[in-house]
Amino acid sequence: MLIDRGYIEVRPLFGGLDAWVDAGYPIEELLE
Amino acid sequence: MLQHLIALILRYGIPLVFVNVFLEQIGAPIPAVPTLIVAGALARDGRMSSTSVLTAALIASLIADWIWFLLGRRYGYRILRTLCRISLSPDSCVRDTEATFERWGMKSLLVAKFIPGFSTVAPPLAGATKASTLEFLIYDAIGAFLWAGAAVASGRAFHHAIEKLLQKLEDLGWWAVAFIGFVVALIVLIKWWQRRTFYKKLRVARVTVDDLKAMLDRGESPIVLDVRTRGARKRDLRRIPSAIVASSPEEVAQQLEHVPPSNPIILYCT
Repeated sequence: MLIDRGYIEVRPLFGGLDAWVDAGYPIEELLE
Repeated sequence: MLQHLIALILRYGIPLVFVNVFLEQIGAPIPAVPTLIVAGALARDGRMSSTSVLTAALIASLIADWIWFLLGRRYGYRILRTLCRISLSPDSCVRDTEATFERWGMKSLLVAKFIPGFSTVAPPLAGATKASTLEFLIYDAIGAFLWAGAAVASGRAFHHAIEKLLQKLEDLGWWAVAFIGFVVALIVLIKWWQRRTFYKKLRVARVTVDDLKAMLDRGESPIVLDVRTRGARKRDLRRIPSAIVASSPEEVAQQLEHVPPSNPIILYCT
């Protein structure tokens, strides 16, 4: 969808949020 | 050869149906619908019992689904992602399945088996959402009954055509076995090639968490999009700092209204 809208560099994050958390990088809490 | 095979089906019909359905539902790429259709045709001719076929399919399906349900309950979304690795697009697999399940809830189990890809993923997803075991078993049993019932009923309805096909295959003898083997091998080869090519492209396209952290530390400004479903975000309130939250295509379009197309975008789900 993003590529169709003209965005030329759209990249998925390998491992998603779990991989980010597992790597010990900082996170924020959503207010929902 | 096929004569022996049909004799084998007739002799071990019910255990064969059970094993085939169990293997398919547990995730092995062995379709059970052809077996159920043939069993239905044989049942129409009085050579098997429809009730026994349906019972075997139902129990096998419930056991396999219950195993996935328990794994989903224990390991949450991680088991779902592992399961989705079998599919061509792990990220969209998790997200799309989750969105379907969120929309329809446990009722989605009634039709899950008719939707390729959703069938094996729905039970662990139900487990991951901590759904009630009793409710899961009821909906799953009805879904399995509808699915197996439809296949057996098709076999019963088209038993003449199926008998003719089986007879033709029997007449062809080893040639039929060789032909079926060749077609199956060709399908597996094509699927393997497509997946290999896709993963090659994906490996180039994907960004690792270390790369993303380095980009953010260098002060580069990629747009980080959190495209998890609302339900997934409710269950896990964490997000990557500065990530923009957008669940639907409309929200994505709204959030990126002023972002130029040259801006790199990195998206994540689970």
